Amino acid sequence: MTLSRAKAIFIWGTVISAAIFLYLSYDSLVQMPKRTQEEKLDSHVVAGKWVWQKYNCNDCHTILGIGGYYAPDVTKVMSTRDGEWVTRFLKDPEKVWPNARKMPNLHLQDQEVADVVAFLTWVNGINTNNWPPKPLVATAVTSGSPGETVYKAQGCSACHLLNGVGGKVGPDLSRVGGKRDKAWIEAQLKNPKSHNPNSIMPSFSRLSQKDIDDLADYLAGLR
Amino acid sequence: MKYESQKIAMNYFMIAAVLFGLQIVFGLITGAKYVWDFDPLINILPFNTSRAIHINLLVVWLLFGFMGGTYYIVPEEAQTEIYSKKLANFQLVLFALIGVTAIVGYLLGWTWGMPFLEQPTVLKFGIVIVALIFLFNIFMTMMKTKKWTVIQGVLLGGLVMLAGMFLFGIFFMKNLADQYFWWWWVIHLWVEGAWELVTGAIMAFMLMKLTGVDRELVEKWLYVEVGLVLFTGIVGTGHHYYWIGTPNYWLWWGGIFSAFEPLPILFMVIDTLRVVRERKTEIPNRVALSWAVGCAVMHFFGAGVWGFAHTLPQINQWTHGTQVTASHGHFAFFGAYAMLNLTMFYFAMPQLRGLTTFNQSLGVKSFWFMCSFMGLIALSLGIAGIVQAYFQRVLGMDYLTTQEYMKLWYAVFWVSAWGFAAGVVMFLMDFYRLARARS
Ligand code: HEC
Ligand code: HEC
Ligand code: HEM
Ligand SMILES: [Fe+2]
Repeated sequence: MTLSRAKAIFIWGTVISAAIFLYLSYDSLVQMPKRTQEEKLDSHVVAGKWVWQKYNCNDCHTILGIGGYYAPDVTKVMSTRDGEWVTRFLKDPEKVWPNARKMPNLHLQDQEVADVVAFLTWVNGINTNNWPPKPLVATAVTSGSPGETVYKAQGCSACHLLNGVGGKVGPDLSRVGGKRDKAWIEAQLKNPKSHNPNSIMPSFSRLSQKDIDDLADYLAGLR
Repeated sequence: MKYESQKIAMNYFMIAAVLFGLQIVFGLITGAKYVWDFDPLINILPFNTSRAIHINLLVVWLLFGFMGGTYYIVPEEAQTEIYSKKLANFQLVLFALIGVTAIVGYLLGWTWGMPFLEQPTVLKFGIVIVALIFLFNIFMTMMKTKKWTVIQGVLLGGLVMLAGMFLFGIFFMKNLADQYFWWWWVIHLWVEGAWELVTGAIMAFMLMKLTGVDRELVEKWLYVEVGLVLFTGIVGTGHHYYWIGTPNYWLWWGGIFSAFEPLPILFMVIDTLRVVRERKTEIPNRVALSWAVGCAVMHFFGAGVWGFAHTLPQINQWTHGTQVTASHGHFAFFGAYAMLNLTMFYFAMPQLRGLTTFNQSLGVKSFWFMCSFMGLIALSLGIAGIVQAYFQRVLGMDYLTTQEYMKLWYAVFWVSAWGFAAGVVMFLMDFYRLARARS
């Protein structure tokens, strides 16, 4: 090979690739407003994006799969948690969801919490080509949350199915958070007859308020 | 060394070496947080801050090394002194000050909050000024003689591209997907574009000088290699556009083009081995030679093989956002860029100090320590990542539970990191000794 041929490879390689790339980039930028639901991107979301950056959440958490690998990916967190839960969590992570590995309390202002929740809610709507993918095998594995511990300890699975495990006397609870909010579930636990006078589900009003709270939190988070 | 102003490189190399040491300290702290859940530093130096400092130090010491290397090479290529020594020294001080400010700022919670680009916006503008001074100085030096060698041209092209891409990481976007779209123009087009040009040129220069092979041969292959790097790497940016809100045709474009990215890196290995075999002179500097050959090989495994392993969308959908990426990031940055800089330190330092021979045993030992323990780091993080991808993504286990199953591999990783750190300490001692040696 001669030097001039080598140079031609360099120049043409670069030019061709750059041309394809620039064209596709242009096309992507045209399509992205629709794919990211930009019509829902209001000033709260923008403020929330800045909160996300200001506290450098991204060097612990991944978002869109990018960032630190120390904490859960939050791209689709609003599909599994509701805004009220995340709000309480962000104000005091340790209390609302105690885990061995901890998220520090960042002492966010109320407005900042509201904004970042709006931001995460908007991110949840981005079309990510179905990432993260649905698991190939659905299993019932522990999350280690306190509510789950109560669930197991009280033997709710005797009557309820959760992620394919348990009995069939009562309804499947795998996605119960999707149709019932926390207050409703708390009422169900304390007095099942309040919803269905003929209910055969036992009352759990004897549990401590904390256990009820944890349990309701956990179930409300299942979507 | 033929020109007085090549000595400018010395201070750049010294700062780079110190920052390299610091990078490893913050790496060990960050890693410990994976091994033990309890974090005594959680409110002083939480994971996000220590990670930000760890990766910023990495990028900054590599940039100091590239700049020093450029100041060393350009006088010899252009056959003249550097245009302005004053500017070169001013630029060094300014960059160092910005670096220190950034790190102190992170510790105080002053951050822009995008990975790798955490520097607050004012500091980013400062960095742009540093880059402009540097490019001006280099360009004016080249213009003094207008001896346009291919090595010089590729080096300058790479540096201009490096500075230019940084601009895409400065501005705040309302839309997170847009922000990440441009973010990859910086991160990907740096490591799989601009930086490859810079290191390709520097490596070509060093191999030519070390082995005495013809310039014509070296430059011809340099053209082909960087040409293929850009051909595959530019559209290859698409391997980051699979899942971030970008259209799905990137699964094809990104997947296919990036799958060929290892090819030019393989050529570099073949090329390096060939020039060493066909050398025209003895190579007394065994340490520099070890780093040069090692760099080619580790670059290929870290970037080429480890990169290829998860670049196809069918695989990437499972591994994206897991420790598999961390494994590749460590291996590739070390193999391609840390090793290039270490090669350059050992290539240039004896000449800057006017040494014809020097004791090489500690240098060679540190080479083997760093390379083998980096291999273990890549392996342990890689296994942790596969465990994570399988349990969390395939089985649907939740994130925190999965982490428990990865603990063993985090421990192996962290112990290996101490082995690596031992290699770095050896290097720093050896380097300090060389820097003070008299001929
Ligand atoms: C020092 C690391 C760190 C930082 C910084 C951090 N987090 Fe977290 N975060 C965690 C960890 C670890 C968890 C896992 C749960 C726990 O600790 O209780 C978590 C959990 C979460 C969850 C719940 C995730 C789920 O899957 O249910 C949300 C939401 C969240 N963080 C949002 C944020 C936001 C918003 C910020 C920035 C304002 C932030 N985090 C900053 C470490 C961090
Ligand atoms: C003896 C069987 C039984 C046990 C034990 C039981 N449940 Fe139920 N549960 C039911 C039945 C039956 C229903 C259907 C509604 C009704 O008739 O009250 C129900 C309804 C519910 C609902 C409302 C679901 C919906 O989709 O409307 C929730 C939430 C619930 N149970 C939670 C629990 C929890 C938590 C426990 C353990 C602390 C528990 N249950 C123990 C039988 C049981
Ligand atoms: C040459 C030096 C290279 C370096 C220094 C490097 C470094 C990195 C780093 C640091 C990341 C993580 C970025 C982040 O999310 O924070 C990354 C991601 C990635 N790299 Fe490389 N890389 C190199 C070459 C390559 C090559 C040649 C390929 C493919 C053949 C490749 C494929 C990938 C892929 C697919 C990802 C995305 C992983 C994910 O899904 O998150 N890399 N690289
Ligand atoms: Fe890339």
